[in-house]
Amino acid sequence: MAAKRAWAVIVALLAVALGVGVSAGWFGGAARSDGGARAEVGVASGGTGAAGGARGTGAAGAESAADVRLSGVGASFPAPLYNRWVVEFERVRPDIRVNYAGTGSGAGVRAIADGTVAFAASDAPLSRKQLEDLGGASAVLQVPMTAGGVVPAYNVPGLSAPLNFTGPVIADMFMGRITKWNDPRIAALNPGVALPNLTVTPAYRSDGSGTTFVFTSYLAGVSEAFRSTVGAGLAVRFPVGQGGRGNPGVAQIVQQVAGALGYIELNYAVENKIAYGAVQSRDGAMVLPTPGSIASAAESAADAMRDSLTVNLWDRPGAGVYPISAFSYIVVYRDLRSVGSLEGARSLVTFLRWAVREGQGLAEQLHYAPLSQAVQDRVTEALGQLTYKGASLAAQ
Amino acid sequence: MPPSKARRSGGDRALGLLARGSAVTILGLLVALLATLVTAGAPAAARFGASFLTETEWRPNTLERPRLDARGEVVITGGEVEIEEVPPRFGALPAIWGTAVSSGIALLIAVPLSLGAALFVVRIAPRLRVAGPLSFMIEFLAAIPSIAYGFWGLAVLTPWLQTVAYPAMERLAGGTWVAGWVFRTRLADGTEIPVGLTGKDMLCGGLVLAIMVIPIVTAVARDVLRSVPRGQLEGTLALGATWWQSSWGMMRYARAGLFGAVMLGLARAAGETMAVTMVIGNNMQVAASPLAPAQTMASLLANEFKEASDQLHQSALLLVALILLVMSLALNVTARSLVVGGSSRTAAAH
Repeated sequence: MAAKRAWAVIVALLAVALGVGVSAGWFGGAARSDGGARAEVGVASGGTGAAGGARGTGAAGAESAADVRLSGVGASFPAPLYNRWVVEFERVRPDIRVNYAGTGSGAGVRAIADGTVAFAASDAPLSRKQLEDLGGASAVLQVPMTAGGVVPAYNVPGLSAPLNFTGPVIADMFMGRITKWNDPRIAALNPGVALPNLTVTPAYRSDGSGTTFVFTSYLAGVSEAFRSTVGAGLAVRFPVGQGGRGNPGVAQIVQQVAGALGYIELNYAVENKIAYGAVQSRDGAMVLPTPGSIASAAESAADAMRDSLTVNLWDRPGAGVYPISAFSYIVVYRDLRSVGSLEGARSLVTFLRWAVREGQGLAEQLHYAPLSQAVQDRVTEALGQLTYKGASLAAQ
Repeated sequence: MPPSKARRSGGDRALGLLARGSAVTILGLLVALLATLVTAGAPAAARFGASFLTETEWRPNTLERPRLDARGEVVITGGEVEIEEVPPRFGALPAIWGTAVSSGIALLIAVPLSLGAALFVVRIAPRLRVAGPLSFMIEFLAAIPSIAYGFWGLAVLTPWLQTVAYPAMERLAGGTWVAGWVFRTRLADGTEIPVGLTGKDMLCGGLVLAIMVIPIVTAVARDVLRSVPRGQLEGTLALGATWWQSSWGMMRYARAGLFGAVMLGLARAAGETMAVTMVIGNNMQVAASPLAPAQTMASLLANEFKEASDQLHQSALLLVALILLVMSLALNVTARSLVVGGSSRTAAAH
């Protein structure tokens, strides 16, 4: 009797151990041996699989006949656009399979530093510290792929037209210095609008985010008080208001709380039909965020791109320029040896070149701003300088 | 048919090894976890020391502000205002405060309800023949994943608080000291501003936690009360005690175990993560008002860990995790020893 029970326990323990083994193999061991098999097939057919790029994508494309697999991780903001690119690109080049996961800019930079992905994406230009982790500015290329706008989204019942804001007014609302929607400073920007006596509830990102970086960088630039008390960064400490996780978290607060003022990406606000306002540009005009007004901001940056591709787009001068705009970047090593094969490195460059040219046509329908011709040229030129183990990849 | 001696001893030996291995593995996991957190949290601990526990400012970004001289005036060199960089600063007090207060609110509501329910299950339900179904329901509630409670809080409780409860409170408390306490809050510079009343705040977090800990506290309290020897109960009744007096005597007798049940509830409340993150408002502040958004240690980790790219930020978060782990361990060990100690005492008395 006792022995029978003992054996039952042993069998159960073994079953658990087996289960753990199988599940571990499913994610680690099995995927690795799978990758190995694919690499062999690749060699037989004359090419090689991008083993480095394929790791982490798991079983997603196990049945695919793609010869080269590339994966990227990073910013969630451009993810809808990048995923669309991936689908469209596959029609053009069925032999290259790209995979993008919008898990967050920080995660993307860590992943490329660990060598688990071929490219990363980040909404904020890399910090000095992040650049150091990747081997310094000379080892890394950050290329703008699209531009986006961060919009002041609000929930004020009974309004028929978008509200007007200025940077300093938004800053004061996020610092608890303007606490009511019928504050004279908001009323002065919106003549003739009946503003309710509602408490302002700022809604911000509780997780670190490129969106927060863009928004706070803009506010710190236009408000001295904001710069010295809240400051700019991927994660800052707002003195008042509510934190929500991700764009959905902030959007949820804005939709649920009358009097809420949040900041979200334009495409997210449009898709979810959340009201957002116009922001006064550097030239003094009230500008609504649209792909066009964000593209104007990006356009005006082309001249500044002579030295570096990472250019701040917030508060740019010019007519019809939306002031809270920013580039979203893809981050790759200047030497693509970490991709794992020459074929993989070539494919990555092919994909990025395609995205910068043909891919831009898809931007506007997804509410992203397409890169201007001048910026496209600068980016293409920079991509032409990428190498694989020291050899140029340009002449293809 | 009895198994052969050799086989049995073989099985015994194998099981013994497996059991020992499992025990060592589990202990090893705990030690490894502690070691990892201690190592990872060390930079933040070294940088901030004890002020990590008492400081209220949690700011992961660097500030740039005009440098002030000894008299508090802006320093100007060569016609330009000198800018100084203020490095990130991590003080965990808001999260510790949030954990303590939200768990406190939860226990304040859950303990009386749970003890009442446990007493009902032990003393009244058997007579009504509902003890079985009721016990099943309590255990069922305990098994519901916490995210479900979070969604309920977000979809039902939050809008109700925001649109029904708080306006009613405002009407009732308007003009009294209560209004000044719950509907106003202060910024760091002392300015008083109205609380947003969003329904996602400390109180909502506490309420959701209360609902989550009730089943656990009830289930443990029920078992503790059941283990009170019949003789004890019959003795009090024989001495002419009323139903209420005998129940009170029963609870006094089992007080160590009941306290342990409460501690287990507290441990669950303090460690609960997703449900709280969804409803507490995620603001790192120490506010007196229970209607102001707050942050707990667990929700802080859930919010910030994934995208914490700065090493000091990561280290500070892992130090918070260490505090949370040590606190949960202490609470659990205390609770277990009280519950088990209580039972063994009642067993001995039997």
